[in-house]
Amino acid sequence: MLAKIGDWLDERFSWREVWAAIFERKVPHVNWFYTLGSATLFVAINQAITGILLTLYYVPTPDHAYDSVVYITTQLPFGWLIRGLHHWGASAMVVLTVLHLLRVFYFGAYKYPREATWITGIILLLIVIGFGFTGYLLPWDQKSFWATTVGTQIIGLAPFVGDWMLRIARGGRDISAVTLARFFGTHVWILPATLAALVGIHLYLVIRIGITGVPKKDE
Amino acid sequence: MDKSEGKQLGRRNFMKVAIASIGGVIGAAIGLPAIPYIMGPALQKESDDWIQLGSISKVELNIPTLFKKTIETQTGWIDTEEEISAYVLTSNGQDYVVMSNVCTHLACRVRWIPEQDSFFCPCHNGVFAKDGAVVAGPPPRPLDRFESKVEDGVIFIKRG
Repeated sequence: MLAKIGDWLDERFSWREVWAAIFERKVPHVNWFYTLGSATLFVAINQAITGILLTLYYVPTPDHAYDSVVYITTQLPFGWLIRGLHHWGASAMVVLTVLHLLRVFYFGAYKYPREATWITGIILLLIVIGFGFTGYLLPWDQKSFWATTVGTQIIGLAPFVGDWMLRIARGGRDISAVTLARFFGTHVWILPATLAALVGIHLYLVIRIGITGVPKKDE
Repeated sequence: MDKSEGKQLGRRNFMKVAIASIGGVIGAAIGLPAIPYIMGPALQKESDDWIQLGSISKVELNIPTLFKKTIETQTGWIDTEEEISAYVLTSNGQDYVVMSNVCTHLACRVRWIPEQDSFFCPCHNGVFAKDGAVVAGPPPRPLDRFESKVEDGVIFIKRG
């Protein structure tokens, strides 16, 4: 039955070709460091799923944001688990992305013909940091409020355009309801959309070009 | 050649099973808790405390009288006020019937129209008699009744 459905779909979508291109492609003999990219993708999927679940209850307004987070953590069944996975996953995201970058750097995998993969990867690192920065404010407790005060103040130190960029980041002079709403919107719409598009390009390039092997002594 | 191919197939299958099982465990670790997480608030029981509606002295014989009561409730993370409306009816001044003003068709609020001696629902023209029985329109059953009691001239209801 399942095979029949698979055949029916394959006749229309040629999905087996796609499957083979992704999962049955030839790879050089490599080591465990080459799994860091997959690990990053795995945690990104965890962030997406737990993040979607959190938006079922979280509200991005100063009068209720913290209450809704407390409600998720203490009142809902397994709310602590969903939030915990998202919280620790966020740190794991940054750590894994950087380790993945270091692997690519030290193994020289950014060179021709993989420059575009490297560049999309660097933008992805910036997006991951953007996720961390915008997500940190959302619980709206003392720590997140003051961390964002400091973080946005640093934007203000940029020469000439600093004050202007600070006001754009905060949506005004101070951290306010506007700041919380735009950080939330950035965190759940702008960054995920950009991330999804770039991960698509990144993975397409990885599969299309193939991955590098471990460099040899004379290379 | 044959032997090594057979061996490779075995390893390949082992990896397939291993990946599927580990993936299944991880999927279940997030997927299963997600179900109570989503359903949690829906399963919460409403309190069955007696709610004091007010004095029955304003209820006249055979005329459904509207009582409104504001109670404090908690919905999710917000403390809020909720207004409960109910029609109280008595035919002998001894026994009281408390009817919900929620139409049994699709939950719009019904209103007592004294001139027509009936309850009327504006959404789909449902009409109920003074005791709540369906007179016309789409409602499938009479108006719901609250469990009620009268103590010292004050009427209480319980929400089911």
